[in-house]
Amino acid sequence: MSTSLSARLLGAITLLVATSALAKPIAFQDGRTLMFEYGAGTMIEAQAFYAPRYWYSVGAGYLHLEDEDHRFSRDISYARMNYLVHRWNLSSAQANVFAWGGLGGARATDSDLRIAENAGGQADFETLWFYSSLKTDWQHSSAFSHRIDTLQLGVAPYRHRYNGIATWVVGQARRYTGDIYDGTEVALLLRFFRGPLWIEAGITADRKLQSMVMFNF
Amino acid sequence: MKSKLIAALIALIFSTAALAANATIEMDVDGLVCAFCAQGIEKKLRKQEATADVFVSLEHKLVAVALKPGQDIADDALKNLLTEAGYTLKGVKRTDEPLAAIRARSESK
Repeated sequence: MSTSLSARLLGAITLLVATSALAKPIAFQDGRTLMFEYGAGTMIEAQAFYAPRYWYSVGAGYLHLEDEDHRFSRDISYARMNYLVHRWNLSSAQANVFAWGGLGGARATDSDLRIAENAGGQADFETLWFYSSLKTDWQHSSAFSHRIDTLQLGVAPYRHRYNGIATWVVGQARRYTGDIYDGTEVALLLRFFRGPLWIEAGITADRKLQSMVMFNF
Repeated sequence: MKSKLIAALIALIFSTAALAANATIEMDVDGLVCAFCAQGIEKKLRKQEATADVFVSLEHKLVAVALKPGQDIADDALKNLLTEAGYTLKGVKRTDEPLAAIRARSESK
């Protein structure tokens, strides 16, 4: 396989393995959600959830974190429950508050397998033209503790229809605690969705790929 | 002349019955802003025995269901389905207007 083709294939796979973990963690009653995110070389996260009811979902995830200087990494596998704290269905908007928590196992550089707890929450507000969300995700074990906070603001450049392709331009700001990344990681993303598929990709200020794929079914 | 009148009357009765049997449900729905998130509405409605087709308009906050002949979905069931999909049902209207006409009307606005 040529280098160029390999690079393209790798890029395509990376896009597929990347996703915006800021989508809603609960799809709909009896709905399943698969999410994959590639976060600028700092994080890779995969999640799978099933919602027995419209107000909660259960599932599992895997998170790989690597600090920006490549001094250490963390691999966390976890089970999680997501809970819809409140939803506001307004005439031309929807707002949500979600909370989640779970338990898993984590392996960090120079440490053996430890029990790891996780908790977090998300608030979002969305209209046909405007999207905003703020998410916080905390992971803790006896070997480490860190939090990832993500803010997204998006606008839709054109009016999309239910069966058409929706396009959003999204600005993302993300902060990591626990010595993973110093400062705020800023990214500009393009988000597309049609039917049950959501694809998001962009670039950070450090010129690194940030992307996500999500599928609801 | 008399037989033509009877035939026309019978045709009218049958066509009216056919129209009434192929009713459409129009629902006003709050929170309908994201096509990706609204997939659950279509999925749930299509699972109903009475459903022939579904149309969703984000712009008009509208969900329309074409019913199979002689079938219906109760208002309470519609409300539950929308709630389970994550939305709020604000109003229900039954009409004889075909789904294709509702779709065309919505998309032309």
